[in-house]
Amino acid sequence: MADEQDHRIEGKITRAQFPLPDVTWPATAEFWAGAAREELLIPRCDGCGRFRWYPKPECPACAAEPYSWVPVSGRGTLFSWVVVTHPFLPQFADLVPFVPALVALDEDPGVRLPTRMVDCDPGALTFDLPVTVTFRPIAFAGVDGSVPAPMFVPA
Amino acid sequence: MTTEPGSWGYASDFDDITGQVAICGVGDSDMSKASGRTTQQIVGQAVERALEDAGLEPRDVDGLMYVGMPEQFDVAAFHEHFGTDHDIWESRRGGGMTGAATAPYYAAEALRTGRARYVLNTFGVAWATQRGEMTGGPGETHAQDLFKQNLEIPFGWFPQPVYFATIARRHMHEFGTTEEQLGAIAVACRRHANLNPAAVMHEKPLTLERYLASPKFVDPFRKEDCCLISDGGGAYIMTTPERAADAPKPPALVAGVGLGHASTGTHWAQQPAFTSTPAVFSAPAAFRMAGITPADVDLFTCYDPFTIVTLMQIEDSGFCEKGAGGEFVAGDTLHFDSGKLAHNTHGGMLSHAYVLGISHVVEVVRQLRGEGTAPVADCEIGVYGGYTGPQCSTLVLRRG
Repeated sequence: MADEQDHRIEGKITRAQFPLPDVTWPATAEFWAGAAREELLIPRCDGCGRFRWYPKPECPACAAEPYSWVPVSGRGTLFSWVVVTHPFLPQFADLVPFVPALVALDEDPGVRLPTRMVDCDPGALTFDLPVTVTFRPIAFAGVDGSVPAPMFVPA
Repeated sequence: MTTEPGSWGYASDFDDITGQVAICGVGDSDMSKASGRTTQQIVGQAVERALEDAGLEPRDVDGLMYVGMPEQFDVAAFHEHFGTDHDIWESRRGGGMTGAATAPYYAAEALRTGRARYVLNTFGVAWATQRGEMTGGPGETHAQDLFKQNLEIPFGWFPQPVYFATIARRHMHEFGTTEEQLGAIAVACRRHANLNPAAVMHEKPLTLERYLASPKFVDPFRKEDCCLISDGGGAYIMTTPERAADAPKPPALVAGVGLGHASTGTHWAQQPAFTSTPAVFSAPAAFRMAGITPADVDLFTCYDPFTIVTLMQIEDSGFCEKGAGGEFVAGDTLHFDSGKLAHNTHGGMLSHAYVLGISHVVEVVRQLRGEGTAPVADCEIGVYGGYTGPQCSTLVLRRG
């Protein structure tokens, strides 16, 4: 990359485990606990029954606060994706090239899961491609540990 | 504030401030890559130039606007820079980004009530210098967001070039937008920078062929789709149209202001209108206040972190139908001399400097005066579109 347009981001690192998720953060702890059991869990509002993604304290649709984590099928469609060949974080150095993606869930396509496409030819991906969940470890160069996470493959 | 049912955002309910505010002086700092300067040195230089442009002394400034980010030019910094100690009204509802468009709205009350006579709005960054020290930068605020930390960044969906390349690919799918069309935006901005000695990319030409030959580092984006990282800043001085009439340079009259909001904030992955910006809310409001239509606009500058953000704002501001932006920008449409929709005639953040929109307003004022380095013929109405993601703003300026 030319020096004038290097977009490497090396801002303040808030946790030693960054960019691994903090599996103890209450708002998303259930999500990661489910992934460890190879279950894809999405929060659903106890008030109106709509999925509440991301799990905000208050439902944007009905303003209710309680919600429950419910299992979903793990099937969806590929909403959009990119092919990253430049490591924006030093911890991404061993990952490139990789394919961050947004997957729309079959249960509610308005729920878009940020994820990664794996076991695929990036050049063969197409919009709205049927995809299915697979659980793979997230791990980063220079960061101790790994976390099982929902990633997706072509169905 | 009103939210239409089923809508993904809304426009602020602004009072009509037409005829209350004029811009009587503009200035910007030297623009550069890493320079070792501090933000306050950068903004101080821009303010000195704006004061000279307006024919004012530092003690004439009795209103100061900036944004609540680190190191901005507050009253203490102003007095330290100029050795003054007079009373100054201040507001943090200014600065760059969306604030570069909405500052006049909030200045209007101070001017109307006589609380201030000359209100200065400034913004600056030393991000190119600070990048080496890791004390700031455009990705940091996103990295601090805990939803991003726990649901996006672990998958590598981070930072901004990844967000907006994802949006660009979806826009290509929904509307048939092509890489060549995004390239036309980059090429137009670079041509304008080549004509502007103050632009960081002044000496670096860019053809569409060269754009297409550039490697994609976050496919579908090339580095030319992304803005620079720069040291620089800008300033403009607002007063009443009556006082502005006595200024050395012709005034730019504030004709309309709008501010739009997206309910999903910076969580772009969840924005229902994934390939739109809140300009769909801000632009109609500003144009209504100004009593104009998009067809009346001679110059459209907009906050351009990525080519796709320009394309979406052009559509969302009503310069063409939604989805027709690719065809609209292809060829020379955005060039200063096309007679169509002159755009970012100073080079924009893509090729002038990444100073987050403040120079875009400075540029509009210069073009209305006939001072552009890529001059737009008979430029009577110029618009600035501000963007942060969660918000878009629209400022309509009219030649005084």
